[in-house]
Amino acid sequence: MSQTMDPNNMPILSEASVSVEIETEDMTLNIGPQHPSTHGVLRLVAKVNGEKISSVEPVLGYMHRGYEKLAEVRTYPQVTTLVNRIDWVSGFANEIPFIAGAEKLMEIEVPERAQYIRLILTEMARISSHFVFNGAFPLEIGALTPIFLAMEDRERVLDLLESVTGGRFHPNFNRIGGVKPVAGAGPTTKKDIQDLPAGFYHDTKVAMEKVLKAVDTFEDLIGGNEVFQARTKKVGVLTKEVAEEYGVSGPILRASGVEFDLRKQSDYLPYDKFDFEIPIGENGDCFDRWSVRTSEMRESAKIILQAIEDMPSGPIQAKVPKVIKVPKGQTYVRAENPKGEMGYYIISEGGLGPYRLKIRTASFSNISILPIMLEGALLPDLIAIMGSLDFVLGDVDR
Amino acid sequence: MKILKESGERKTLNQSDQNEFINSIQSSFKNTSYNFDTLKINVDLSSWIDTHKILKKDFNLSFFNWLSAVDWDNEVKTGDAPKEPVTPSFEILSCLSQTNSNNLVISSTVISKENAEIESLVDVFAGANWHEREAYEMFGINFLNHPNLTKLYLPDDYEGNPLLKSFELISREVKPWPGDVDVEGMPEDSIVVEEKGS
Repeated sequence: MSQTMDPNNMPILSEASVSVEIETEDMTLNIGPQHPSTHGVLRLVAKVNGEKISSVEPVLGYMHRGYEKLAEVRTYPQVTTLVNRIDWVSGFANEIPFIAGAEKLMEIEVPERAQYIRLILTEMARISSHFVFNGAFPLEIGALTPIFLAMEDRERVLDLLESVTGGRFHPNFNRIGGVKPVAGAGPTTKKDIQDLPAGFYHDTKVAMEKVLKAVDTFEDLIGGNEVFQARTKKVGVLTKEVAEEYGVSGPILRASGVEFDLRKQSDYLPYDKFDFEIPIGENGDCFDRWSVRTSEMRESAKIILQAIEDMPSGPIQAKVPKVIKVPKGQTYVRAENPKGEMGYYIISEGGLGPYRLKIRTASFSNISILPIMLEGALLPDLIAIMGSLDFVLGDVDR
Repeated sequence: MKILKESGERKTLNQSDQNEFINSIQSSFKNTSYNFDTLKINVDLSSWIDTHKILKKDFNLSFFNWLSAVDWDNEVKTGDAPKEPVTPSFEILSCLSQTNSNNLVISSTVISKENAEIESLVDVFAGANWHEREAYEMFGINFLNHPNLTKLYLPDDYEGNPLLKSFELISREVKPWPGDVDVEGMPEDSIVVEEKGS
């Protein structure tokens, strides 16, 4: 028998019983590790008081692969295969600082053409990474359309990356002293196109025009959307002092108003030859972080269009010994990756592989501010804040 | 609505500024080296915290890049041993930089393996928290006055410190690599042979 209540006999709550203070205690809410908005397997243990978050403790390590240990038993050319898989959304960009570090220790001059190819492909990796962000971030806070647009345009960029390197996500294309020659890429009699597939310049131009159009579309479709603005503006504000102390870098740091971009300040690739701007945010909120990344795509497309215009001809590989031995020394080389500063501290003892390789990844430092940013935030804002940090768990756990 | 400020002026690498910075560091600290574009300060264990305070306050190195450690040992179970003998010890490295230039400093100090402990940097740079937890689990280094010195990546019941040179990489013990047996038969081949035999 189901219990039915006699409407005439309902208990009436007296005023006294309502005003009795009820003791509340925080509820523990486990988010992840299997949650679409965690970009991999991140677990957050949140203490919530109603809709309000009182504390958050991220739990890492579900994807820890021990690359720093593995690098110690590999030779230098073999390490590039590993570092591709750190931030898999922009695998190509991960190779650059490691290769540049090994070249610095070996004192190798990389030919200009190889540097240009590296630069073009790095910027393509940046565009493809920001396309993923522009699709995933609105999706996480409830907008379904942008991901379809973003994935379509990203595919075009990935096709270009694939046509040169042979890989969409893990190119493993850089060699110490240059880049990998592409077999059967155009007539080999013409020295200047032996390394890029036929029609690469034309296809790149077409793809970059499409990227520029896509950025305009995103700015209207996502940035102009009132719901998106309401969900992101003045949400998850990060001040620059906190960001610097925690080592938060990349677009997140720039959204907080710090004019710091290693492409301008460092010389790991010849960025000084091109005209491009560094977008800076003003408020440091989720909207600014989205906005900085989206504007960056436009700048990256501009860089690529300039680079294919004045592409130098010449060799793509410096002369290197057959067996690569890096002389004794220590160096730290860092680069501006799509997600922030990525660097490798290489300790070489003169062997075939590094004695110790410290990998500094952007997302690791970037999400270390989560406990601070989420304290006192509303639960629905948690997804918006996490999404705006644009992290990849492979980049956090290494 | 204007949400972006475009930085109009083009920044170029200013070599003289960088040299000035290196000179000012070298005049303030005794034991410095500048090799392969990397400026490194070797500090005593006792002045580890003070050095970071000075670097942060006086040299505007307010950006905390990373902190880690190196296990120096002559007997290694993974990789190659150093060519020249070293004193077995832990080297703690930290990296600080400026956010308006490419200036960067690596600080280094040495602690003994028997008494592997060092003051935590969390009070100076809050961002050191996770980096120190990683060094704690990977090397077994004890960071004194750390607010939450627990394992970061590894499970709570994990035994051993994986980045120690004495820690074996089990997969390498099972199958040595790089080896000369790069050309193995495909799994299908062996199946075919078995079928023929039977």
